[in-house]
Parts: sequence; C-alpha cells; structure tokens
Amino acid sequence: MTVGMIAAGLAVMTGIGAGIGIGIATGKASEAIARQPEAAGKINSTLLLGCALAEGTAIFGFITALIMIFMG
Amino acid sequence: MEALKEALMGALENHVAFTIPVLGGIPVADAVVVTWIVMAVWMILALALTRRLSVRSPGRVQTALEAAVAFLNGFARDTIGPHWRSFAPYLGTVALYIGLSNLIGIFGLTPPTKDISVTAALAVMSLVLIYGAQFRYNGLLGGLKKFAEPMPLLLPINLMEVAIRPMALCMRLFGNIVGAFIIMELIKFLVPAVVPAVLSIYFDLFDGLIQMAVFVFLTALFTGEGIKDAA
Repeated sequence: MTVGMIAAGLAVMTGIGAGIGIGIATGKASEAIARQPEAAGKINSTLLLGCALAEGTAIFGFITALIMIFMG
Repeated sequence: MEALKEALMGALENHVAFTIPVLGGIPVADAVVVTWIVMAVWMILALALTRRLSVRSPGRVQTALEAAVAFLNGFARDTIGPHWRSFAPYLGTVALYIGLSNLIGIFGLTPPTKDISVTAALAVMSLVLIYGAQFRYNGLLGGLKKFAEPMPLLLPINLMEVAIRPMALCMRLFGNIVGAFIIMELIKFLVPAVVPAVLSIYFDLFDGLIQMAVFVFLTALFTGEGIKDAA
C-alpha cells in the first residue's frame, strides 16, 4: 500500500517535465507573436500541437499513478 | 482518507444503466445512454436550426451557422491540404460530439469521455481515418511507401506510430477528463460550497473545449501528413 503510494507519487512527477516544456513553448510563442503579430494564427496552432504533445507525457504519468493507486 | 478513496472509486466506476434482456443480458453502460442523449440533442438542433434556410434573406441563426461551417472548412483546408473536402464533415461531427460530451457534466450527467472505451473507440476511428486516407489517396504502393518517409531508416518508428498515435489520442482525452473529474471531486470533498463552482468553469468548460480542439486538430494534422502532397 505505502510503496504503491510512493510509486504513484513518483509517476506523477512527470508533470514537472510537462510543465517546464509547456512553459518554454508558451514563452517562445509569446515572443514570436510579439515579433510578428500577423503570424499569430499559425503560431497558435503550432503552440497548441506542441502543448498537446508535451502534455501527453504528464497524462501518461498520471494514468500510471491512477492504475497504481486503484488497481495495485 | 479511506472514505475519500471509497467515494472516488464509486465515482470513477462506469455504471451499467440497464441490461437488454436478450442473449443472456447485454449490459448498456451509462456512457452509451448519455451518448444517445448527446446524439438526440445535436439531431434536434440540426433539424431545428436548418429550417427555413434562404439565399436571399438569411436570418441571424443562418448567418451564425454559415460562419461556423466556413470556419470548419477553412480549418480543414489549412491542415489537410487539397483533399480536405471529404474530411471536414467528419471532423465537425467528432468536434460536436466530444465538445458536448465533455461539457455535459455541467448538467449533472456523467461525461461519456470519462469511460475509456469511448475514447478508445474515437481513437480507433481516427486511426482508420488517418491510414485509410493515406492508402486511399496514395494508392496501395504509395501508401506503403509513406511509411519509409522521410528516409527508409525511420521505417520502424513510422510503424510504431501506427500503434502510438491512437493510444496517445485515447489516453490524452481520457486522462484529461478523468483528471479534471478527480480534482473536482477532491475540491468538493474539501470545500463543498462556492469554490467548486468557480473552478468548474476552468476544469469543465475550458479544459473540455481545449481537449475537443486538440483531438480534432491532431486527427486532422495526422491525416494531412499522409495525404498533403498526394495527387
């Protein structure tokens, strides 16, 4: 039980990486829009894609944690 | 802590709404019943809003609908490329379904996307669309050749993507909805009043719509990747 809880906590740490990644991507996107406001549409869709892919890692960690808590 | 875990477990389970009494009983899950409700809502809206369309004097509703369809078509054209025409209706339908499914929690029904079977089915549909389009527009040989692009060395990675793409689509949608659901349950457990209502705007409305956009966008992007330069 306790070991499973610790493992779930470790699994959910993937959120750190996703947070840093999305933060960097959003920061760069703001810079790009500030430099070229007319390209905002294209930048936004690229940002959305990048964020979705970066977020995927956090989601996998989260689901692993869920499986450990509820089924382990 | 144990009480909370019990409550969470109860809320996370996929309940069976009723059982069809043939062939030894076919269980019909909650997600299916709510899906029927979603379908009914969109069908009634589609029928009601498209009555009395006119070319010469479009009403306010018609103008709004035309703007929405033009937006969808423009999005499909931008992401899929020259063969966008036959994909736009499917993308729009999936967007409407996922959108209302994610938002229906506000009205007190269980969101169907909280059931992993629903998101898995959506991901399999995306898989069929992506690779079906790749073979449909490039031919059998051309479609196979697409797996060896941009260079033959990447063939194993491209083959792995066949499994990874739908898996990631399915898990992303499911994980986001379940995550938001669990966080809302935790907040309701700690502070039963006022605070959940404010946060529900973010977790139910905003997150649900973002996930809808992400799912449709990724499906369109992957489809476009395979057929963008096809004749």
